[in-house]
Amino acid sequence: MALLVSIFIFLLFSSFSMAEKLTFPNQLIDDFDTFVATYDAKRCAECHEDVYEEWKESYHSRSMISSIKGIANFFTVGVPKEWEKELNKQEIIKCLDCHLPQIKFATERLAQEIATYMIKAKIGKGKEKEEARAKLKKLNLSCYGCHNIKIAGTAPGITGHIDPNVIYTSGEGESDAHETEHTPILKRAFFCVQCHGVYIAPDGESTYCNTLSGSYVHNYIGQGGRKTCQECHMYAKGRGHRMPGGHDLEIVKEGIDFQAEIRAFRYGVGKWVPAVNVEAFLTNKAGHRIPDG
Amino acid sequence: MVLEVTAKDPETGKVLYHDTRKYFEIGLDLDGFMRYGAWQIKEIVDLTLQPLKTQHERFFFTFAQKDLEKAEIAVNVYYYISGKKGDLIYQVKKLVEFPEMP
Repeated sequence: MALLVSIFIFLLFSSFSMAEKLTFPNQLIDDFDTFVATYDAKRCAECHEDVYEEWKESYHSRSMISSIKGIANFFTVGVPKEWEKELNKQEIIKCLDCHLPQIKFATERLAQEIATYMIKAKIGKGKEKEEARAKLKKLNLSCYGCHNIKIAGTAPGITGHIDPNVIYTSGEGESDAHETEHTPILKRAFFCVQCHGVYIAPDGESTYCNTLSGSYVHNYIGQGGRKTCQECHMYAKGRGHRMPGGHDLEIVKEGIDFQAEIRAFRYGVGKWVPAVNVEAFLTNKAGHRIPDG
Repeated sequence: MVLEVTAKDPETGKVLYHDTRKYFEIGLDLDGFMRYGAWQIKEIVDLTLQPLKTQHERFFFTFAQKDLEKAEIAVNVYYYISGKKGDLIYQVKKLVEFPEMP
């Protein structure tokens, strides 16, 4: 089995290095290492090193390892105990459709293997826990997640069939390394909110990991706000694919103005006790509620 | 996010006053119970800072110690990325003096 995997990985990369176009399988993958290698952002770094370096600093590059607690709780409590359901790919995908979109191309067995790593990373001990964490560090929301899999997530009637071998981009340039298709949706807030909002699973279940999108549409746009997610989190200050958010104090401070007036005096005629009045003003300049995720 | 006001005796460091305002979402399940699990939450009570709005908070307090001459007032704003880790993002500090008694 290990030999077959090695041959597969060798063929995958050797075909790319021979200047053939970047390709992706249109079938389910059952082996963990093959799965990691297939969707590894390093495949894109050869041409897009600067973007890759930005992405490495982002929470998208840590979308599994940074979310162990919440996801493992869903896998160990939500699905089996509260819903009394089997933890299968259909349930696993309710978290991983955003945290690891390529799960779409994992077999049922591999999806369960990955779910097991998530559980062991939370409740395991010692070496078992460390090994599970090491596996999860290899999994993330990589380039392919946004530039292919999630493209049809918001408007499948318009985008239609997604070709696994096409890299969908916001720009209009072409590439010798892969098939490219210009996709304006990547510049729209609408694209981000499919995960940064209330998530509706294919079977209709909703999960409230965060609720930014409702706040953005109704409270920001509705009051005259006109910026997209990308304008603040990508285009401003050359943030690019680092896409800082609540984990980055610089952008947190940028989104909030603060003023405070402090005055001391004596209060109560005849009693003259020392008194203080503080007037504080917090202005949310962001395009969504604060805090949120 | 937490807005915190603290008054201290500048000589002893003793806290004379402390109050906070908290801004967050409370997740509720279908029965109206507070929940943390994303799969359980079907509604929220929104106590966050709303976009393009200014939240005005007023703190008025007195001190029992009539001969208090000075107090150190600190107004802090903390951002919590999780329930445990709070980062100080803004601070206004002032040493105030109370008018002398007539």
